[in-house]
Amino acid sequence: MAQAKTEEEKLKEQFEGPAFGCFSSRHKFCREICPTYQVTRNESHTSYGFHASMVAIARGLASVADVAADFRFCTMCGACENRCPNTLFTGDFYRNRTRTIDLVRNVRAAAHSLGISDPAWQDWNERTQLHKNEPVWEGAKPQPDDWARGLNLPKGGETILFCDCEAAHHRTSVPQAIARLLQTAGVPFGLMFEQWCCGGPAYEMGFIDQARAFASHNVQDWRRAGAKRILCVDPHDYIHFTEDYPNLLGSEAMRDFEIVHIVELLDELIRDGRIRLTERIPLRVTYHDPCRLNKRKGIHEAPRRILRAIPGLDFVDVDHVTQWAFCSGGGGGVPIALPELAKEISTRRIRKAEELQVDALVSACVWAERPLSERRADGTTNLRIYDIVELVAVSAGVLDGAGIGL
Amino acid sequence: MTSLAYGQLTDEALSQLSDILGAERVLTTPQARFQRASVPAPFPLHRAAEYMPDAVVLPETTAEVQAIVRWANRHRIPLVPRCGGTGLADGAVPLRHGVVVDTKRMNRFLELDLENRTCTIQPAINMLKLNEEYLLPHGLFYPDDPASYPVSIIGGRIGTGGWSLLGARYGHVPDNVLSLELVLGNGEILRVGGGGGKKIRKSSTGYRLKDLFIGHQGTLGITTECTLELYAQPEAVFPAFFLYRDFETAWRAAKRFSECGVATLAGVVLFDEQKVEFLRRDDEAWIPLPTWVRTAVCVVAYGLEREVEVAREVFLTLGRETSGVYAGRELSEGDWASRHDRYATPLHGRRKDGQVVRMSWHCEDAALNWSELAEVREKWHEIVRRLVDRYEIFDDWGMFFYSNSPFRGWGDYLVEIDVGIQEELIDEETWQAWCAAKREIAAVALEHGGSITAAHGATRAGEVELVPVELGYGFELMKIIKRWADPNNIMNPGKYELDRAYVWEAENV
Repeated sequence: MAQAKTEEEKLKEQFEGPAFGCFSSRHKFCREICPTYQVTRNESHTSYGFHASMVAIARGLASVADVAADFRFCTMCGACENRCPNTLFTGDFYRNRTRTIDLVRNVRAAAHSLGISDPAWQDWNERTQLHKNEPVWEGAKPQPDDWARGLNLPKGGETILFCDCEAAHHRTSVPQAIARLLQTAGVPFGLMFEQWCCGGPAYEMGFIDQARAFASHNVQDWRRAGAKRILCVDPHDYIHFTEDYPNLLGSEAMRDFEIVHIVELLDELIRDGRIRLTERIPLRVTYHDPCRLNKRKGIHEAPRRILRAIPGLDFVDVDHVTQWAFCSGGGGGVPIALPELAKEISTRRIRKAEELQVDALVSACVWAERPLSERRADGTTNLRIYDIVELVAVSAGVLDGAGIGL
Repeated sequence: MTSLAYGQLTDEALSQLSDILGAERVLTTPQARFQRASVPAPFPLHRAAEYMPDAVVLPETTAEVQAIVRWANRHRIPLVPRCGGTGLADGAVPLRHGVVVDTKRMNRFLELDLENRTCTIQPAINMLKLNEEYLLPHGLFYPDDPASYPVSIIGGRIGTGGWSLLGARYGHVPDNVLSLELVLGNGEILRVGGGGGKKIRKSSTGYRLKDLFIGHQGTLGITTECTLELYAQPEAVFPAFFLYRDFETAWRAAKRFSECGVATLAGVVLFDEQKVEFLRRDDEAWIPLPTWVRTAVCVVAYGLEREVEVAREVFLTLGRETSGVYAGRELSEGDWASRHDRYATPLHGRRKDGQVVRMSWHCEDAALNWSELAEVREKWHEIVRRLVDRYEIFDDWGMFFYSNSPFRGWGDYLVEIDVGIQEELIDEETWQAWCAAKREIAAVALEHGGSITAAHGATRAGEVELVPVELGYGFELMKIIKRWADPNNIMNPGKYELDRAYVWEAENV
């Protein structure tokens, strides 16, 4: 009987070719924009480092056990893939586009299979498995829909608002603002019967089976609800539903659902006049492009249009390509396994915003807003951190600005 | 004592390194070592184990570098300095194992002197970052602009004696590094510049020592600080591509452009027929050009708006006078804007049957006078043609000729032949064939009164054997200097055939 393949052999089968594409170039044009490398200045933590490690694995020079610790150092922001000359010019010639994020996730999954995943990730995913939501709350676990109390939101329906764990249990002002805006605009929507974590963080940390189980549950819940359109509060969910769920469940499983990120819908509603921005917000702000929206999904125009539509707001923009080099440090499991790295990445992002002499940094990602807000809480900065929907809701008159310090 | 009698990296020696740097800045995993075994030049992966360092260290200060060098002398362990690791001459490839000193954490910006227009930095800042983050806000820039501009690091540019695309206007690395501090192989700290001055451009005091420590490929020491020349950020940039029917006409046109007397001329680039043919395969800017277009010349001016306006008129007139056709703004500006990515990283080539395969780029370069370019071109293509005929893993990607003289366009050219190589298929036979071809290419350059390399360093297998031939008695002087700076041959040993500096002693022991 043939022996089962080792984790190294499985990785080799899938990634040797693309890894060699990067390794044989070795130009490392992706290096300086990598938010992790900007802090550690250790090439082992870069896209080149990961691909070279993969070549070493394929050639029997290194094992998954050797490389596992290095592969934690990735926020999965996607900047390296964008900046890779292989992506920019030629990758499709031989069907070997650079796929750093896939590689990192697969090596993490191999480490998990071998039981050598980072202990902090193991603990996090065990608790997520227990609660069916990520343990982002403080104190006793709230119910998934606690944030919606008093809003009279129905269950089920053709449009489902998927309110991810961080928004539902930590930054509740965001989903509350969204719900009120949608009600004002007359967009019917409902909540899931039993929402579980999207499974995306588990997927990024390499806990694939757990991610698949969560994905499967959520899709079944959507079907039960009769859903046709899923609204995402969080760019991470948007990636998971559009890219990872088809990977986990097969592309057929997601064919019936339209996945929409909330900033695109709000942009449409504002332009159609269904949401009217009338309240002035006299604030000087800049915008932080969430990595998963901008670098990975190319959504950067809608949030800028929204900010420019808010009366009184002095919006100082930094273009979306410059922002390939920016990151909050909030993704890829980094804050869980390497909190000091996440802290430093977010500090650097804050400093970039401070150079513009703004009052606030606005984003569209609750996961980014966590480390950025922590820098205000720990005294690193005086900048206020807002989610774009909070500002829209205040300007539309459905949220009291005083409640969020405006 | 022989050059090869090195000590072992024992647990005790490693533990001393950890005492110097902290354990987290001493890397010993196989992947950390493998990642630092190669540079973008073709790498014989089938012999990877020969080039693997035993450990990697990440120092942050001059004092730490000095402690590492002293440690290496005590244990007789080779040190290989590595900055960006993006050089094309194998300078940072370990030939005797040992410890790679990866200086990327030495990236502090130390001083901006606006009064005297200099900045002083630790060596591991990238040029793009230096300009973006520290200089452009003051209307200044550091003009070193190689293909690797977005990624290479200034310490490595110093170690390899780098060349800049804008050299005809702003000079090259040796011209724009005003002074530098380095830790020599003997453990001493040295500061060299214009005489003893840190920010002096011209001095007559003593020997001109600074040049010794630019382009030494890490064989003499490790750069730990440098002071750089700064220029006013140009108000205007005007690149113009002119298209020609044949090489001869374009070659003569390049000479006219380079001698046109325009002070803002930053560079002249000549594309030969094989290069244009290569670009026509897959490059969207070049595919639609009419079939009569077989060669091209790019000229570019940097300066004040008014100056560049004059340059624009002169270039367009000269283009017409030399039978060139201006390629238009879109191609000219587009190609110039993408110059760092476009030509250096095609990442694919074609086999003789036209099949697209993954290939990496390699260029052999030489410094040659203008008068020699046409003949050298024919000989180099013939060498590569024989290689391509025999082995499918090679592909001739044509030649570029760049103005090479600092602060002027005329005289020397950096001559480059680009070869695509399907690196994953390299075996010992093809590796040896490649090294032999490089040796032949270098020999042609010497036959024509040139120098083996203008930009990258002559430390690659193959051509390195001809360095003593090129330098003659000068190579004897190199050996003496090497022994003075590095008595135990710990600094990047094996490079530049400099093990030969220690043979006399070995023979007499």
